Amino acid sequence: MIRIWKFQISLLAIFLVAVFLEVTIIPSFWAPLRVDFFIGMIIGQVIFVQFSQGLSFVVVATLLLQAFSGARLGLIPLIYIAIFLAVDLLKNVIYLENVFTQALLGIIFFWGITSAIALITGSHLLEEMNISLIAGLVLTGLITPVMASVVGRLQAAYEAYES
Amino acid sequence: MGRSNTRVILVICAAALVLVLLSAGQYGSSSLAISYVREGYYGFDKAVSAPFSFIARLWDTYIGLVNTSRENEELRKQIDKLRVQCMSMNDLRAENKRFRAMLDFKEAHQEYSLIPASLLSQDITLIFKTAIIDKGTISGFHIDMPILSPEGIVGKVVAVSPHTSQILLITDPNSAIPAIIESTRVKGIIKGRGGNLLSLEYVRRTENVKIGDCIVTSGLLGMFPKGLKIGYVQEVKRDVNKIFSDIVVKPCVEMDKIEGIFGIDQNMEVPN
Repeated sequence: MIRIWKFQISLLAIFLVAVFLEVTIIPSFWAPLRVDFFIGMIIGQVIFVQFSQGLSFVVVATLLLQAFSGARLGLIPLIYIAIFLAVDLLKNVIYLENVFTQALLGIIFFWGITSAIALITGSHLLEEMNISLIAGLVLTGLITPVMASVVGRLQAAYEAYES
Repeated sequence: MGRSNTRVILVICAAALVLVLLSAGQYGSSSLAISYVREGYYGFDKAVSAPFSFIARLWDTYIGLVNTSRENEELRKQIDKLRVQCMSMNDLRAENKRFRAMLDFKEAHQEYSLIPASLLSQDITLIFKTAIIDKGTISGFHIDMPILSPEGIVGKVVAVSPHTSQILLITDPNSAIPAIIESTRVKGIIKGRGGNLLSLEYVRRTENVKIGDCIVTSGLLGMFPKGLKIGYVQEVKRDVNKIFSDIVVKPCVEMDKIEGIFGIDQNMEVPN
């Protein structure tokens, strides 16, 4: 039980570093660029962690994410919980451990989130689609397998430490 | 023999004297004879000093290279240090320029009480255009406080904490500001489009709107002071089947490059 807590707190610390990168560091280099680190962590949770643990992490993390967005309260958790459930369903259909599959899922979900919010809010962002959006998609695709692997390695490290 | 030698010597001396006299006061253009002498001396000097020069060059360029390479390394380190210093100087210069613009702006708008702030982070999503700044209720920021930069209006505060505030940029789809076209006084509502542009809505098709018209705040509803610059008309589309024109506005402020901003406190008394 203590191991689970330690694991979750470590994951949360990694998540907060990722958020810092996402909202402060990356925009300071190129303001319209957004890279989603969290999709990779969700995929990692689905592959390596139990459903209940994964879901609780996603809920807590997305509530924190809400503080960094102007989205209506609940929209961000709703979207990411939907992604978590979708990936959990996909786990039985496709081989999620494959790096290329993870990258592809990262790109698809990032595009999905952006389009869905644009649709809901009536944003013209996709009409004005620019190079930063494409760069964001590519970088999210690259970072997704890395973040999934981070979750896996952390889980393996705690398991090895316990045994 | 001795007599003839003396004659020769005398002749040479006389010739030398003549040469000296001929060239006296002619510093600008030496006589031909003197030129020959100098040329001769030059040739002699070169011939004598050539071996020494060769040895010296050999020493400097080959044997002395051991020290040179060390010196080179030290100089390179110094250049790197200077480059870094130069970079920081450029940053300081840019920062100084920004602060000067902010100060000028504050002095030019003494009718408002302006509280300076800096950006902390941007919105985590691409669609919502919000940002977090480093000033909150402790510094006098409050909900609905207008935020502007020296270039024009930026947005308004939507959430506050003691040390931070969340601002809704005018480019956000949820943002709506009463506006007016400066030249024709045509009223409308400026709304964010989610990207980098704005829309001027509820302007009738028959109204005179031209590309390049300046849009300013109208001061209606009292939230934003009157006459603050918002942007310029970039595109006007008139559809005969629609009551209103589709007007695209380019904001004065480049939202991707905001650094120094101000909150306008309309409740505070302006200091004299």
